[in-house]
Amino acid sequence: MTAAESTRALAIVERAYRGTVETQFSDALYCAFLFHRHLGGLDVLLRGPAVGYAARAARTPPLRLGGTTFSTGTEPGQGLSVLLESGVGVWAEEPDLLAYGLAGEDSLLPGVRSVPGGSMAARWSGYRAVFFL
Amino acid sequence: MPTRVPQTDVLLTVMGAPHESDLITSVLRLSQALLESGATVQVWACGYATMLTQQGLGDSKPRNLAAWSTAYPSMAAVVQDMLAAFPGRLHWFACRFCSDDRGAVAHIEQVPTRAPAKFAEHVAAAGKTLYLGVM
Repeated sequence: MTAAESTRALAIVERAYRGTVETQFSDALYCAFLFHRHLGGLDVLLRGPAVGYAARAARTPPLRLGGTTFSTGTEPGQGLSVLLESGVGVWAEEPDLLAYGLAGEDSLLPGVRSVPGGSMAARWSGYRAVFFL
Repeated sequence: MPTRVPQTDVLLTVMGAPHESDLITSVLRLSQALLESGATVQVWACGYATMLTQQGLGDSKPRNLAAWSTAYPSMAAVVQDMLAAFPGRLHWFACRFCSDDRGAVAHIEQVPTRAPAKFAEHVAAAGKTLYLGVM
């Protein structure tokens, strides 16, 4: 365990795409940013369908709803970019990247690191807290 | 005044909860596509979907700390806009039991509540009924 790790928490995100229209900006990654700021540092592990959040090519297209264009749907890629810029470590599990077609070298947002499935569990004891988000 | 049950091509029964998946996004996109193709639609919101049309939601979501001046419409506003865009062709009802059970007792005026016992009337008034999600 490093001193830097001992103050950090690990947030595991494995449920994804939760309410594009009703949630908008206030998704799990928005919450993660607040935790990072207020709880002394955070790392994020993406698993399952949440690895899609790290897809470099992902976009949230505007929706036509009623007579207007709805353009404030959740943008997880942007949320991850904010986290990365603020010093959050972001990892994604390799088996799920492979399953969702994101195993290519340039598939992920810059700064997102891949890890073998389950391997982050070996680092749990180095975190002050581990929780699902 | 008793609520009139509209005759529509499709009834979308929303059983699943918001914020858990993209179910509500699908409901809205499906409704929009049906309406734009000329069909008529009624939505019956059950369970936690009754929270979508509460007056207390106001017109917008709480502020985004990272984008203070950006406006984010509330779900109540989204539903209101859709109802206004398709007058007489889109209808939205809230299950009264599910509303009462969750304290969701103040729906926007465009959304009447209906007793669960009346659900069969809405099914009978629709050409096709789709159930979306589970309670």
